[in-house]
Amino acid sequence: MKKRDNKNKNIGQKKESLVESLKLPKDICMGAMKVTMTGSREAWIENYRGILEYTEKLILLQGKTCQVCFEGTCLSIDYYTNEDMKISGCIACVRYI
Amino acid sequence: MIEFLKYIRGYLRIRVSGFSPERFMNLCSNKGILLWQIVREGDVYYMNINLKSFRALQPIVRKTGTKVAILERYGLPFFLPKLLKRKVFVAGLLLAVFFWMWSSLFIWNIEVSGNYRITDDMFQSFLKGNNVIVGMKRKELDIENLEKEIRRSFPEVTWASARLSGTSLLIDIKENDAPIITEQEKEETGKDLVSPHGGTVVSIVVRSGVPLVAAGDTVEAGDTLVEGRVPVYNDDATVREYIYVDADADIILEHTRDFNASLPLDYIKKEYTGREKTRFYLRLGEHQWKIPEERPFLVYDSVIRESRPLVFEKLSIPVYKGSCTYREYMNVEYKYSKEEAEEQLKEKLITFLASLEEKGVQIIEKDVKIELSGKSWVITGQFLVREPVGDSVATQKIIIGETENQ
Repeated sequence: MKKRDNKNKNIGQKKESLVESLKLPKDICMGAMKVTMTGSREAWIENYRGILEYTEKLILLQGKTCQVCFEGTCLSIDYYTNEDMKISGCIACVRYI
Repeated sequence: MIEFLKYIRGYLRIRVSGFSPERFMNLCSNKGILLWQIVREGDVYYMNINLKSFRALQPIVRKTGTKVAILERYGLPFFLPKLLKRKVFVAGLLLAVFFWMWSSLFIWNIEVSGNYRITDDMFQSFLKGNNVIVGMKRKELDIENLEKEIRRSFPEVTWASARLSGTSLLIDIKENDAPIITEQEKEETGKDLVSPHGGTVVSIVVRSGVPLVAAGDTVEAGDTLVEGRVPVYNDDATVREYIYVDADADIILEHTRDFNASLPLDYIKKEYTGREKTRFYLRLGEHQWKIPEERPFLVYDSVIRESRPLVFEKLSIPVYKGSCTYREYMNVEYKYSKEEAEEQLKEKLITFLASLEEKGVQIIEKDVKIELSGKSWVITGQFLVREPVGDSVATQKIIIGETENQ
């Protein structure tokens, strides 16, 4: 089991260095989520798969490789499409799980 | 802009409730359905959705087992049928648009700028003469021709530009600041200077011509002072030929000038009785509407005040409102007292003296009397003045041969 984990890590590292050397956009090639924040009131998120949970205090998003959790108060989704979404409200914390 | 497009296409506010609204949202985004203003209240989600996308929602609702309810409808697809039911309103709207488009085919305002010596009234009557009037069709206006006509009719206009700005015709002109030099007809040279009055020559300075008088000489009215015929002599002192020049000299003549003026004994003065009547009217272009009425007073004058409301001025619509005030007066006969008559006559004298001063006349002595003569006050004055004189008169030509024969 440990061996497999190490192997995955190695592949990940190799992929990252390859992407970096070719100067390709990381969010597309690595499947990473892109979060843009303006202060603590607004956040734009791209490259996600879907919403897992949505309450006033927490929004949990599913990405390709990880999950992102926005915590705060009065959270609401301004718009939600396949490409991107906007969250507004008072964001207190962004956690990667 | 995006809001406007959303409004045009129409959208709904929906309420989503059920087992997993998050899954409903994810499926929507996967199908490319835009959701916005997503708010959660308790277990219920409220969100906006496109009208077109809403029709594609059926399979998702069935799949996720959620319940969707329409709360409100927004946008043109919902508003338009309601509007079309109000036929009179739609007809009015269409009529207004039609009127607006139709009225933009005419000229509603003419503005002239840059005119100082040519008055607005002169320009207005010129435009009227050329059939350029408020309310004419834009198509009928030939701007180039109008510009040419302005330059031709007013020689002092050096530059004219007319342009149409919306429904306004803006005319800019530039007047010539320098005086216009009119080409004088070439006259035959040879001019004498003649004395217009009889008197004594005080001083004479001749620039061209032959002087016939000297300082201290007495002259009669009509005497030649400087001759424009300059003789050229032969060696034997006979005249070979005459050269004709325009005589030019500064001659100061001392002579007496008379001044007479009279003032009738009685005069008529307007006296307002204080009775006034004001009538309001409305004017659209050339047409005027006012309350018809009979002659307000027997004898009266009227004061007209006219203004254009700001709205019409900004929209270039020739609608004016105005008031006409009639003031009754009486013609009362008065007689001048001696003091009043003296004051009036003295004023006349002062203007006469000022006109003399303007001409460069110097007054040496004066003798003025005011007296009552018949039915009027008369002022008589005698002034001893020193005045620059010299009227140009064509020189009499002499042909040498003829004089020799004589």
